[in-house]
Amino acid sequence: MWKQPWGFKEGYSICIGLFITGAMLQISIGKINLDALAYPVNLISGIGYFLLLTTLYFKYKRSSYIVSWLSSYQAAISSMSSMVFMIVLMGLIKQTPGYISMEGNFIGFSKMLSAWPFALLFLWMIIILSMTIIRRLNHFKWSDISFMLNHIGLLLALVGSILGSADIQKLEMTTMAGRPEWRALNERKEVVELPLAIELHKFSIKEYPPKLMLIGASLPKGKSATFLVEPGLGTGQLLDWTISVKKYLPYAASVPSGDTLRYVEFHSFGATNAIYVKAINRKTGISREGWVSCGNFMFPYNAIKLDDKVSLVMPELEPQRFYSSVTVYLESKKVQDATIEVNKPFEIDGWKIYQLSYDESKCRWSEVSVFQLVKDPWLPVVYTGIIMMVVGAICMFTMAKKNKEDKV
Amino acid sequence: MSWDYFLLFAIVSLCFWSFGAYAAWREKRPVFVHGFTIVGLVVFFTFIVGMWISLERPPMRTMGETRLWYSFFLPLVGIITYSRWKYKWILSFSTILSLVFIYINILKPEIHNKTLMPALQSPWFAPHVIVYMFAYAMLGAAAVMAIYLLWKKKQKISPMEMDLCDNLANVGLSFLTLGLLSGALWAKEAWGHYWSWDPKETWAAATWLSYLCYIHFRLHKRNEYRKALVILLVSFVLLQMCWYGINYLPSAQGASIHTYNMR
Repeated sequence: MWKQPWGFKEGYSICIGLFITGAMLQISIGKINLDALAYPVNLISGIGYFLLLTTLYFKYKRSSYIVSWLSSYQAAISSMSSMVFMIVLMGLIKQTPGYISMEGNFIGFSKMLSAWPFALLFLWMIIILSMTIIRRLNHFKWSDISFMLNHIGLLLALVGSILGSADIQKLEMTTMAGRPEWRALNERKEVVELPLAIELHKFSIKEYPPKLMLIGASLPKGKSATFLVEPGLGTGQLLDWTISVKKYLPYAASVPSGDTLRYVEFHSFGATNAIYVKAINRKTGISREGWVSCGNFMFPYNAIKLDDKVSLVMPELEPQRFYSSVTVYLESKKVQDATIEVNKPFEIDGWKIYQLSYDESKCRWSEVSVFQLVKDPWLPVVYTGIIMMVVGAICMFTMAKKNKEDKV
Repeated sequence: MSWDYFLLFAIVSLCFWSFGAYAAWREKRPVFVHGFTIVGLVVFFTFIVGMWISLERPPMRTMGETRLWYSFFLPLVGIITYSRWKYKWILSFSTILSLVFIYINILKPEIHNKTLMPALQSPWFAPHVIVYMFAYAMLGAAAVMAIYLLWKKKQKISPMEMDLCDNLANVGLSFLTLGLLSGALWAKEAWGHYWSWDPKETWAAATWLSYLCYIHFRLHKRNEYRKALVILLVSFVLLQMCWYGINYLPSAQGASIHTYNMR
C-alpha cells in the first residue's frame, strides 16, 4: 500500500482514517456548530477555499502525486461510497432535531449532520469534486459540457447549502385576525422582532365533503369502509349496510331531543356538519336512522349504533385548501396585500412567507393563522447549481441515446 | 372509472403485453411486437386516466397508486429498450415484472379516495412522481438484468450486455436526478426548504450517490463486470428502502413528512 499508483485501498484507508479522526474529535470536543459560518465568515471561507484549491492544483499538479490523485476515479468512488455508508447510517439511526440536546448518542450519529466523521468525509468528497472540476476546466473542451453542468452544478448546490446554512432564518409567526404582528419564534422558541409585520384579515378553509365510516371491533381488515358524501346527497354501500343520506346540513347545531340529539340549521360561529341517514342491513333487514355528526369545539359528535358490533360515524372533515388574506407592512413603508396558501408562498424583500397551520381545534372557525417565514440569502447559489444539474441530467439522458446510436 | 374495473383492464393489458413479448421472443416481425405492446399500454393508460378523472386528482398519493404507474412504465421501458437494442427477452421480463406489481395491486389495492391534502396540491406533484416512477422502472430493469448476468447466465458476460446495463442506469439516473431536483424545488415552495433530510430524502440521497458510484466505476474499471453489477444491485436495494422500505423502518417512524399513504 501507498505505493504509486494509488488505488481503492489507499482511497478507503483515507476515508477510514477520516472517520476515526472524526470520531475522536466528536468524543473530545463534541458536535460541530455551523452557526460559526454566519456571514461574512461563510463568504470569506468559500472564496478562500477555492483560491486555496486552485493554487494547490496549479502549484503542485506535477510535483505532488496526491494533488493529481485527488481527481482520480479511485478517489471519487471511495469517497462517494463512504458517503453512501454514512447516509445509510443516518437513515438507520433515528435523527433528533438540532436544538434538542442528546450528547454522546452513537458518537453523535443521532445528529448526523453535526457529527465530525460525517463532516470530514463530506468535506473530503467536496475537495475531490472540486479538484476534478479544476483539472477538467484547465483542459476544457466543449464536449465536456455535460460533465461540467453535472459536476459544477452539484458543487454549487452542496457548497451553497452548507455555507448558507448559518444565514438561514426560519421563523414561525402566529397571527390573530385584525392584529398586525411583527414578532416571531425561531427554532429555539426565542422571540425575534422582524423588519416586517403581517396583518391577518381572514383565514379561510375549504373542506372536503364529509365522510361516513363504519367502526367496530369485528370489521374485516383491509376492506374499505368509508364513503364520501357527495354534494347532492346519495346512497352508498358500507359492507352489509346500505346507507342513504336523507339530509345534509353543512352548518348545523345540536339540540337535545328526548334522550338523543337532533341537529338544526345554524349559520353562525361554531356551526358543525351533520347528516341525517337511514341505514338498512341487506342481510338481516334491520333498519336504523338518525343524525351523524363529527362535532367540534362547540357541539358534541354523534354516531349511530347500527347493531351490537358496528357504529356509523363521521370522521373529522379533511381540509381541501386553507389560505389567509393578509397585508404585509415593511419598514420601508411598503405595504402589500396578499393571499398566502399552502404551496403558494408569498415573497417579499427576500422573505418567503408560508401558510403553516391554524387553530386545528377550531378548524374552519379558526381566527388564528400560523405562518412560516424563511430568508435564505444563499438560495440563488443553490438554485444555480440545481438548474445546472437539471440541464446536465437532460444532457446525460440524450448522450446515453447517442452512444447507443454510435454502436448500432 | 372505479377501481372495480382494474382487473378487467389489467388482464386485457397483460394479454397484449404477453402477445408482444411472445412475438419478440419468437423473433416475429417488429410491427407485431410494437403493436401488441402499445395497444396494451394504451389500454392500461386509459384506466389510469379514468382513475384520474373519477378521483378528481392525480392517482399518485398511495402506494397502490404509485404501483399503478410502475406497472405501466415497465412495459414502456421494455418497448423502448427493445426498439433500440432488439433484445428478444426484455419484453418478457418487463411483462412479468409488471404482472407482479399488478398482482400486488389486486391483492392490496389500498385506499383510493378522493381527498388530497393541501401539501400535495401543486403543479409539481404529477411530474415529480411520474419522473420518479419512470426512473424506478428503468433501474428495476437494470437490476433484473444484473441478476440475470450475475447468476443465471452461464456464458461469459458480453460487453453488449454491459452496455445495456449502462444505458438503463444512465437514463434511470438522469430521471432520478430530475425527480430529486424537482422534489427540491417543490419542497422549497411547500415546506420552506429545498432539503430537510426527511427519511425519504436521506434514502434518496444514498440511492442517488450509489448509482453515481456505479457510473464512475464503469468509467474507471471497464472490464470488471461482476463488481459493477453488484454495485448496481446494492443501489437498487437502497432504492427499495427509499420507495417503501421507510414505511417499515423503525428509525423513520413518525419522522417522515413524505407519508401520504398511511391509513
